[in-house]
Amino acid sequence: MSFITRVIMLSFAAILIENIVFTYAIGTSTMFLAARSKKQFVSFGLCITYFSVVSSMLAYFANKYLRDYDSVYLITPIIYVLIVGAVYTLTLLVLWKLANKAFMALKKYIHVSAFNCAVLGSVFINVERGGTLIDFAAYGLGTGIGFLLATYLMSIVYEKLYSEDIPESLRGMPATLLYIGILSMAFYGLVGHQTIL
Amino acid sequence: MKQMKEKKPFDKTIFDGMFMKNTVLASGLVIAPVVMSATTLANGIAIAVVFSCITFFTIMISSFVPRDMVYAVRIILYTFIASLVYVPVTVIFGPVFETEFNSIGIMIPLLITNSLIVIRSELHFFRLERLRMIAEVIFYIIGFDIVVILVGFIREIFAYGSIGDKIIGIPLTFPALSTTFGGFMLLAVLSAVLKKIKIIVRSNSK
Repeated sequence: MSFITRVIMLSFAAILIENIVFTYAIGTSTMFLAARSKKQFVSFGLCITYFSVVSSMLAYFANKYLRDYDSVYLITPIIYVLIVGAVYTLTLLVLWKLANKAFMALKKYIHVSAFNCAVLGSVFINVERGGTLIDFAAYGLGTGIGFLLATYLMSIVYEKLYSEDIPESLRGMPATLLYIGILSMAFYGLVGHQTIL
Repeated sequence: MKQMKEKKPFDKTIFDGMFMKNTVLASGLVIAPVVMSATTLANGIAIAVVFSCITFFTIMISSFVPRDMVYAVRIILYTFIASLVYVPVTVIFGPVFETEFNSIGIMIPLLITNSLIVIRSELHFFRLERLRMIAEVIFYIIGFDIVVILVGFIREIFAYGSIGDKIIGIPLTFPALSTTFGGFMLLAVLSAVLKKIKIIVRSNSK
């Protein structure tokens, strides 16, 4: 399989077959937050994509040194949090110095897009899957785009799920969860179904 | 604002944290472990125990982080503290819930970035007076625990027709209830039931 085909296949798998929200339910609450604003959800999703790609790539190098140790499962969360924290801090510093306008625009939600289950989850799933550096990056990219897709599907109906057309007992959170459940079932139908976890 | 929150009666704190503003069913937070891993009663109990310890101790320790520190640094510290708390919690409860930990997998370490720590602590808990904060954290955690254990219990009975090692003679099982979409739909039903109860309580109080 050629390099580009492999990257596309892995990203595609992470977007549709193992969608972080609809298959693993990871990052659902962050998605609710992102979907509230139709203007911001794209930049929010792109931030998550960026953090999951870069953090996954750095986790690849960390994992190379860590995997031989006993009880490594105890310290991996600390290492991954430090990796995400380092990427987050450097990103903020670079944005602040070089693109102050972008920094001001992203300031409100960049912390939530860095420290959430979707980013950390993509790192953990990547390590669980194994592979090369490119595999890690491709899967991280797919995870982020998969999250963006889920947020888009949520944002287009968000207002309707809270509208008065829906019976009061179902309005809001119950309807939202039911909607995600139906979408999750549709994604489940694509596979048939076996995931790595 | 602070004074208003201090005046809130204690029974309302209990009721809000456990039911009215339930972490999962009303606020839609910390959904992943409930949907993905609470497929049996034992898994539900394991998640509840680990979540309670990680969240409580992390929020308590994090509340000492100076508020005048830049938020970008504070958020890193909160998750870093959670990852440190994760170590003793896993060492203590790993042998107790060995089978459950294996089946839950990455959902256990992912609890360190749960929304109560990352979002609600900063927006809500840390703005309260200390005793009130401790009480609210405890009842929000109990609210989550009730849901995760209940979901695990319901799914084990209806998806596998068993509870623990005992087979229950129910005539029909629904294996799809143990899937991700089954978990979302069950949560939707429970959330609707809670909302209906809230509506009834509200109309009775009027």
